[in-house]
Amino acid sequence: MTVAAARKPATASRPASRTASRTGGRPPGWRRFLPQYLAIAPFYVLFLVFGLFPIVFSIVLSFMKWDGVGPATWVGLAQYQYLVTDPRFWNAVANTFIIWIMSTVPMLFLALVVAFLLHSNIAAKGFYRLAFFVPNITSMVAMAIVFGSVFSDSFGLVNSALTALGAHTFGWLSSYWGIKITISVMVIWRWTGYNAIIYLAGLQAVPTELYDAAKTDGANGWQIFSRITIPMLRPVILFTVITSTIGGLGLFTEPEVLFNGATGGPDEAGMTIVLYQFNQAFTNFDFGYGSAIAWFLFLFSVIFAIINWRLLSERDGLKTPRKLRKAVRA
Amino acid sequence: VTTALTRRQLLTGAAALGLSTAMAGLLSGCSSGSSISTDPDQLVLWYWSRGVNTKLLQRASRSIPGSPHMSIRGDNVGATNYDTKFRTSLAGHAYIPDIASVNSNCSLYFPDEQLFVDLNDHGASKVKSRYYDWKWTLGTSPTGRQVFWPMDTGPTGFFYRNDVFGKAGLPTDPTELTAGIRTWDDWIRAGQQLKKRTNAAMIMNAPTVFTQYIGASKVRYFDKDDQPLFEHDDGTVKQAWDTAVRAAKAGVTGNLQTTTDQNAGWVSGKVAGHIEGAWWTQVLHDTAPATKGKWRIARQPERPGSSGGSFLCVPSTCKDPDAAVDFISWLTDPTNQAASYNDIQLFPSTPASFTDGTMTYGQRFFGDQDPLDFFGKVAPDVPVSYVSTYESHVTAFTTEMTNVEAGGKDPDRAWRDAVDETNRELEKQGVAA
Repeated sequence: MTVAAARKPATASRPASRTASRTGGRPPGWRRFLPQYLAIAPFYVLFLVFGLFPIVFSIVLSFMKWDGVGPATWVGLAQYQYLVTDPRFWNAVANTFIIWIMSTVPMLFLALVVAFLLHSNIAAKGFYRLAFFVPNITSMVAMAIVFGSVFSDSFGLVNSALTALGAHTFGWLSSYWGIKITISVMVIWRWTGYNAIIYLAGLQAVPTELYDAAKTDGANGWQIFSRITIPMLRPVILFTVITSTIGGLGLFTEPEVLFNGATGGPDEAGMTIVLYQFNQAFTNFDFGYGSAIAWFLFLFSVIFAIINWRLLSERDGLKTPRKLRKAVRA
Repeated sequence: VTTALTRRQLLTGAAALGLSTAMAGLLSGCSSGSSISTDPDQLVLWYWSRGVNTKLLQRASRSIPGSPHMSIRGDNVGATNYDTKFRTSLAGHAYIPDIASVNSNCSLYFPDEQLFVDLNDHGASKVKSRYYDWKWTLGTSPTGRQVFWPMDTGPTGFFYRNDVFGKAGLPTDPTELTAGIRTWDDWIRAGQQLKKRTNAAMIMNAPTVFTQYIGASKVRYFDKDDQPLFEHDDGTVKQAWDTAVRAAKAGVTGNLQTTTDQNAGWVSGKVAGHIEGAWWTQVLHDTAPATKGKWRIARQPERPGSSGGSFLCVPSTCKDPDAAVDFISWLTDPTNQAASYNDIQLFPSTPASFTDGTMTYGQRFFGDQDPLDFFGKVAPDVPVSYVSTYESHVTAFTTEMTNVEAGGKDPDRAWRDAVDETNRELEKQGVAA
């Protein structure tokens, strides 16, 4: 606030003097830019109606009890009080983070390997690039039917294969870990190709001289991959980690279509934060509580944004607030 | 300078166009009031596919019998998130249909019943006797207003595989089997024999036993004042729970928790039975067409229940509630319900439809047995019960029942967890446990 206040006079005086000296009869101040403001207005009007208003309204709603139809009553912090002691909510939080780790780590690793292979000199490159991206644009409903059949407990392909091999069957869609593995596999299947394409773009930006030099020095494939590719891709990897974090915290579609609704499966082992929010708002019609959950999710997102930002700034040698303060003191 | 000016003009023009489009959209939303149709003589009905007979809708689209000056426009808004769509229109006081279909979860709307007309004020009580008492009562709010009008029904029965039961040495004739499974313990014992001799399950899972037991009970989770009853040790819910646990422990439930598994169960014959509403006949046709002729239906233990079946309601913003009730009354009269059964297999809520003589099943999916004849005889025996609006907060019981069956959780602990969780949620809704 103080910074903005201090700057204001300077910026305000400059265009004024410029207007006077250079453009003569034009209207002063913001009206000069009216056409530009009008040009971008459609976006902001739509954003106000469908973006900002719902966001602000959800803050208000989180302090209320409302079934979506009747009158809303003010309940103060009651929704949040209930939330912090709600085992179903904390189960959803735990599920979200477990599934996020179980899916993101293998997914990004696989994507990197796929991108590396796609970047090398192989035949039918275009076909493979397309093939790996197809899962990302496949209908989720169709995907859920396929995954439901593959992982179904009693008649699924995976369990049939396990039985054929003489192993025990596993409750892929009914046990605590089975459900998490199945959802993670769905996420991995859907997003590996997408991340591989991003990595591929990053790989293509790495100067070939580095590879040539490494080869001349006698480095093998793994050494090239771990010593040149990965370090050069660091910013791209960081980007995919951030987008995967956003996607992981917002995980909804996979468990929703897999269990045909916002139930989360047996023991709610597939209940994620957003799915629980949806469950409360649109199955239980408890919009106040749904909004409170949304704001807790926002809190988690802020925490992760800060962690990501710190990782990013330290990597790039930017100054974090603490370092800044240290520098000032010095 | 010239190019700069034209660009500015272009920008202004684009902005003006964008703004006016946005404003036009917003304004048109305001100007049309709460109704969907601007035609003062047209009532709009919301329904989902196969929820209302479109042939009858077409006839009423010219003029409503009984209110010839009015006509009906049917809008199929789809079954997906139907309640959310309907509630959004109610909350927004805009684009509210004049008549709406509502599914068997109609008690969800009881707290907001003032948003709907009391159908009795428009002549509903005069034709009340046409409908099954239990179905009519399900549409009566706790304050005694008739908010929902019976559409189709789902009296339940025990569907079973005749051939598999024969192999297990169990009665294959529906009447004989009905006599052999009068109590739930009889039913479980028959299931054990079935399991031992054919390795087939009696029903897909334990939560189905639990749910259908409650669906066939006179008393459910709450009393008429919405006071909880589920905690009582001799109450319906506990009895249903214990029965389902006994069935699961005896190994007669199939532990199939996903739709894929369940469908495979019926197709393969690994599940040789099911308890469900009359409308399940159609589902079975589509799911397991190859098992045609091998199924029969017997009465379930104790008494039949109700599962599914929709209603019609008239929001208070309706242009002409009298005409709306005229339409609903005509749409659901015994003759038209018989026609709706023939066209889209909606099971009637009027006993007279069965004696009408026009209703035919016309298939041999159940051998010589006619499911119409069966469910027509069963339907009058469905008990009158009260479904509280708070039943949307009792899902913990089925969740915990799944935990017992699929996860091997201790039934007593699961019961306590279900009761605690339900009480916690009800307390949040302001219901004293």
